Amino acid sequence: MTAAQRLPAYLIIAVVIVVAALVPVFGGAYLTTFLFTLLYAYIIAQSWDWLHGEAGYVNLGHYIYFGVGAYAFALANVNGIPVVVSFVVAALFTGLMGAILSFPLFRLRGDYFAFATLALLPLFELLASNLVAITRGSDGILLPPATAMIHGIDVKMYAYYVALAGSIAVFMLSIWMSRTSFGYALKAIRNDEQAAEVAGIRIFPIKLQAMAYGAMAAAVAGGAYIWSFRYIEPRTVFGLDVALIPVAMALLGGSGLLWGPLIGAILLSVSIQLLIVNLTMLQFTIIGLAILLIGRYMPGGLLRARWVQRVPLLAPLGHEHHERIAATAAAVMPDASGVLPLERIAADRSRVLLATRDLTMAFGGNVAVNQVNLEVREGEILGLIGPNGSGKTTLFNCLSKVYEPVGGDLIFAGQSLRGLRRDTVSRLGIGRTYQIPRPFGDLTVLENVAMPLMFRAQDRLARPQALAEAAHFAAFAGLSDKLTERADRLTLQQRKAVEFARALACRPRLLLVDEVASGLTAAEVLRFVGHIREVRDIYGITVIWVEHIISALTQVADRLVVLEQGSIVADGAPEEVVRNEHVLSIYFGGAAHKEPV
Amino acid sequence: MTAIIIQLLIGGVLLGGLYALVAFGLSLIYGVARVLNFAHGTLLAIAGIAASVMFAAWSLNPALIALILFPIFFAFGWLMYVTLLEPLKHRNPTQMTVGTVLVTVGLLLILSDLAALFAGPTAKNIRLEMEVFQFSGIIMSTTELYILLGIVVLTAALHLILTRTWFGKAVRSVTQDSVGARLCGVRAGAIHAATVAFGSGIAAVAGVLYTLNYPINPYEGFSLTVKAFTVIILGGIGSLPGALLAGIFLGVAEALCGFFWTSDWAPGLSIMLLLAILVVFPQGMLSRRGT
Repeated sequence: MTAAQRLPAYLIIAVVIVVAALVPVFGGAYLTTFLFTLLYAYIIAQSWDWLHGEAGYVNLGHYIYFGVGAYAFALANVNGIPVVVSFVVAALFTGLMGAILSFPLFRLRGDYFAFATLALLPLFELLASNLVAITRGSDGILLPPATAMIHGIDVKMYAYYVALAGSIAVFMLSIWMSRTSFGYALKAIRNDEQAAEVAGIRIFPIKLQAMAYGAMAAAVAGGAYIWSFRYIEPRTVFGLDVALIPVAMALLGGSGLLWGPLIGAILLSVSIQLLIVNLTMLQFTIIGLAILLIGRYMPGGLLRARWVQRVPLLAPLGHEHHERIAATAAAVMPDASGVLPLERIAADRSRVLLATRDLTMAFGGNVAVNQVNLEVREGEILGLIGPNGSGKTTLFNCLSKVYEPVGGDLIFAGQSLRGLRRDTVSRLGIGRTYQIPRPFGDLTVLENVAMPLMFRAQDRLARPQALAEAAHFAAFAGLSDKLTERADRLTLQQRKAVEFARALACRPRLLLVDEVASGLTAAEVLRFVGHIREVRDIYGITVIWVEHIISALTQVADRLVVLEQGSIVADGAPEEVVRNEHVLSIYFGGAAHKEPV
Repeated sequence: MTAIIIQLLIGGVLLGGLYALVAFGLSLIYGVARVLNFAHGTLLAIAGIAASVMFAAWSLNPALIALILFPIFFAFGWLMYVTLLEPLKHRNPTQMTVGTVLVTVGLLLILSDLAALFAGPTAKNIRLEMEVFQFSGIIMSTTELYILLGIVVLTAALHLILTRTWFGKAVRSVTQDSVGARLCGVRAGAIHAATVAFGSGIAAVAGVLYTLNYPINPYEGFSLTVKAFTVIILGGIGSLPGALLAGIFLGVAEALCGFFWTSDWAPGLSIMLLLAILVVFPQGMLSRRGT
């Protein structure tokens, strides 16, 4: 879209903001209060969605940050600290708390993460009730009436503008996230944390930041809330009933979409308001029913619903923001040459790039890799074969630090890999593919390949450059016509190609290729063999290739290593190894070679 | 002093046994149907309130009340699974998690609100006038003995059902490998529904036992769910003896905390324990059991 096409959208947004800003002046107290509750709920819903919609973590305790922020603001205010400073203190304190809580919480995933975070609500209610010396317990805190007016104007007015500014800020931050490598890291985490690490992303600080930013935003909402309503007690900010409403809002509109939480917040606020005003009892039932129905019927939210997608004006709101960006990038890109934007290095064959010393990996009593001593020279193409279960993939998993070996050592380019993280190893220069491919399913091919470019060790690229450069890697792997296709809509072979391109984009010195050729036609195998040769000959990349198609390996490998039950049983030139009696007996059974009884 | 400690231990074991009963149901449902039922403790609270109301109105024998409530809650659990939870299974894991949470928490809010509307928001229990006996300073009532007996019988019955019956074998096969069980002709969908129903029925019986000694109000259910979850993490998912031990550990810990320090913090013990376990065991203690 050009700037001119976007103009109407900008105009609408500007008008909405101006109208919202004028409400306290002309709209009356009721409307102002209602819009205020909507705005701070939107801040909570949107900041919750940074972790859920982007990173896929269901943080059900996000509301505690709202409560903690409110308490921090209240305490600062009661002690006579200026309002602006109170907001800053509340945001920083709560952000720090979010960062600290990240350490235990992110050890969990999925349902367990959801439960542990939900358990924070009763814990914080208990803390607020019992730490009487600080929080005044269940009596609650009442802000001093003397501070209810500033320059003769009710502070409710100012609090409203804080909430409005906060809403605009979280909206802008969401746009920023979908455009930066930070946002892409979150999306990679959502899809597959291990694959994200192997692509060179250090995931924990990213998750911690998403948690801390969300906490700070919610804390500002909490500060505005108490500043306006002037009274706080444990139940109103840590109760289970109120805590899940923002979650329901984000899901109602469409989690992970820019407009989702906002539209959900508007719809749910209005409907709850309409229903509750006319009810004197069963209010929790109504709220519960709303939460239940959204959970039951709204997996993707209204904006992704089919009937909304048919309305021309609303349809674009349901498109993933990052997909549009990637599509735009692909459209403006010059034709990718298929020449890799990698340094051309002549490999020095005399140097050992990788050496394992008695490398051992065991799962319980099952020794999968047993004291393997392997040396790989720079620029070598090593074929690794062996029957199923012989430890080939486990060896790869040790090299890429998916597993920490139980014994022995790994030396890569003169450096021990023991104790290093997956992302460190990836940035040191070990790229890999998986036997069963693990691309980031809901990202496009281009975005998949661009991921390592944004996180590699030297000269990291910003998003637009990374997407542009990714096209060359994708073209090299034969994906030129699939650049803007989602990876989970590709065939198995295409997904393997995505992984191959992504591994190359890690700028590896050592490339681990796990059964990329199985299932290819003879012509395709030939082309892939050519790729492997090119990668080595032109870019000086060392390759270890696990494959069952030995004819493919013998065309290109300098050396074949045979694993059986975790140990090396043969190591030598391909023509020798394929004639080795023991290797033949492993592959074709021993009967043919046995003496008749 | 020794007498006081023993008294505390008895109270802790009693309460912990009840926690274990809640945890059994939750763990069974999670292990089989992969549904974290946040309304599970609330079902127990509702059953307890219903039992106290029935007892107050008709003076029925609590055992009879449990017999009446079991099929009702069984049916409710079945219906809940089939209408609300099973349709969520077709989503991707994150969407399923968040959908399940919203559905069960929504249900929790509705159930407790309706219970408060019909039976009042105050805590209720069944007041049996039973004899109290005393030996060397330790006081115990016959009611408490009955509760203990109830816990033991229910645990034993559960163990036998899970290990000896066709249903139990089907349940365990689905827990270990749902697809594999399907391939062997186990109707996994029906087993899921039956397990949720069965777990809800157990919650009803546990609710009756609970209200024999402790008053309960409609809003207390969620804190029981949190405790049950801590018990599961401590004891290992799908393990009856583990849950029993962990439940008793938590009950005793709460009793000791209440006595030696303050009862204000006792309700938070389970949550802090939960977070502490997560720090000490990075993978969660569950993963060792091959969840």
